[in-house]
Amino acid sequence: MTTENATNGSSESLLAVRGLKKHFQVGSGLFGRNKLFLKAVDGVDFEIKEGETYGLVGESGCGKTTTAKMILRLEEPTEGTFEFEGNDAETVGKSKDLTRNYKSNVQAVFQDPWASLNPRMRVGSIIAEPLEVSTVMTKTDIADKVGDLLVEVGLQKAQANLFPHEFSGGQRQRIGVARALALNPKLIVLDEPVSALDVSIRAQIMNLLEDLQDEYGLTYLLIAHHLATVRYMCDKVGVMYLGRIVEEAPTEELFDNPLHPYTRALMSAALPSHPDIEREEIILTGEVPSPLDPPRGCHFHPRCPSRFEPCEGTVPVETHPVPDHRVVCHLY
Amino acid sequence: MMTSSERIGDVVLDVQDLRTYFVTRWGVVKAVDGVDFQLRKGETLGIVGESGSGKSVTALSIMRLVPSPPGHIVGGKVLLEGQDILELSDGEMENVRGSRIGMVLQDPMTALNPVFDIEDQVGEALRIHKDLTGETLETEVIDMLRKVRIPAPEIRMKDYPHQLSGGMRQRVVGAIGISCDPAVLIADEPTTSLDATIQAQYLRLLRELQELTGVGIIFITHDFGIVAKMCDRVAVMYAGKIVEQGDVRQIFNNPSHPYTEALIQSVPKMEVREERLYSIPGQPPALWELPQGCSFADRCRHTHDKCLEAYPDVFDVGDGQVSACWLREKETVSAKS
Repeated sequence: MTTENATNGSSESLLAVRGLKKHFQVGSGLFGRNKLFLKAVDGVDFEIKEGETYGLVGESGCGKTTTAKMILRLEEPTEGTFEFEGNDAETVGKSKDLTRNYKSNVQAVFQDPWASLNPRMRVGSIIAEPLEVSTVMTKTDIADKVGDLLVEVGLQKAQANLFPHEFSGGQRQRIGVARALALNPKLIVLDEPVSALDVSIRAQIMNLLEDLQDEYGLTYLLIAHHLATVRYMCDKVGVMYLGRIVEEAPTEELFDNPLHPYTRALMSAALPSHPDIEREEIILTGEVPSPLDPPRGCHFHPRCPSRFEPCEGTVPVETHPVPDHRVVCHLY
Repeated sequence: MMTSSERIGDVVLDVQDLRTYFVTRWGVVKAVDGVDFQLRKGETLGIVGESGSGKSVTALSIMRLVPSPPGHIVGGKVLLEGQDILELSDGEMENVRGSRIGMVLQDPMTALNPVFDIEDQVGEALRIHKDLTGETLETEVIDMLRKVRIPAPEIRMKDYPHQLSGGMRQRVVGAIGISCDPAVLIADEPTTSLDATIQAQYLRLLRELQELTGVGIIFITHDFGIVAKMCDRVAVMYAGKIVEQGDVRQIFNNPSHPYTEALIQSVPKMEVREERLYSIPGQPPALWELPQGCSFADRCRHTHDKCLEAYPDVFDVGDGQVSACWLREKETVSAKS
């Protein structure tokens, strides 16, 4: 990496997201009347410190993947901004150099290793592609680098000549990781990196990601719905519901002391790791409401077992009942 | 809540040496290769395994729904309340399916037909298997829907699936599953997981159905969490064979097969943060080129010479727990030579 920007201390945040929103227009009506907006992400703030893993959890439709896409610059935010190494998104967008720098510094590993690798390309070319596009390396250098990357993720150099279908799911996910590592990124967005894999393979990939993080000081944004995976991998976790972060805390604090009724319900629904563990089941009534027409007041109030008067009318504000632990709920 | 001994009764399903093979261009794939297990009334048995372990083909074989060709049930017995259903003609089997063996799919969005109303879909099995018509059918449908706690069933049964919430749709699927009072209910879990809260609803529904009817449930899953939450007994499958079987607490506390042990250790837990997960090296073997010895030998921590020479016998390790691992040979007397 030659285009190093201001060096950050370990306490500095690598990525800071502020007021991020993404509204999709879904219906326009005649002459643009009755415009309907799907508020996939509706005001999200968080920071990821360098070298840490930040987890975004929530059920399908909560906006966690859309948030990740905006950070990968695959979607333009409707509103809000994010700063990467102190440069905000707008500045980055205006400068070609900064954009290139940003794009090579922020990479992704996707959920489905069957869909995220081009079946017509040899594995070597898949991993080499980012190097060909974004660097001025020579062909031999690239080939060497591809070999090194394959070894790094636990495969063999000679396997560069094979096609994706010749690999198992776990191996393909390793190829995806190698591709993400090719440009020496600082931040890797992991979108459900193990949920499509067989149980006996998941630990391999999680441990590989942990080892790479230790070795290269990588920063991860982990999108996941499986709470145990989040507890294992993350330093800090944000819980999303209908486009907003409703609670955020360092991992241990969040799991030991969940405050938001939604977080508690999610945890009570998680499957136990031993038959002797019996959790109190918090039964959520109703469905996740449509983000097209979210409930007034607190988005969670129609399903919340602890709702009271203000929940229906007033949008709760963020509070910090415990230092470094924020929650958006009228109870606190 | 009932204790398991009160709840569990006689054997309703006895699967003996079941073998289902597929003929492919790579050779004969022994997807299910000599599987033995029993299911009792009111009991929940978990069949756990990874993709390719044979757990879903086992379920399909019990339903006699193995796609043929290329699949064939080549041997064994499936005794449903004493009757070997592998001997039945296709027509007779149709009468068993949906009446004596029910099925509940986890995803309520795809399990119902969008163009028929709820009454039609819940009543279908009753009409076919119990020859109910007219008012008796309607009363029975209302009764089924009431059992799964659909509010105002008289009105709701005229609705179409899209008019119901996801939770209610799931309950309707449950009502269909138990409408003919089956002896065995098969719950097959899709590989892509549902949201935790939806899954929790589904599991609760199955428990209710079991308490209501005393049906024996076979859970096909890859998730030890489901086993921990739902099952009385577990059969762990690997490469077409059951490698370990026993009481759920025994299996979690004292797994007797290295694969089970490793699998339990490799799953992160929500309750505690682990420093480092154990990860099983390698990947499941291809079923068309299984090694001569134990199929798990090349990934196992305890492999010795014998493992490479022959597939292990099944050893009884006590209290109904059986294990197909040579490590258990010294501790026990062989249950099956």
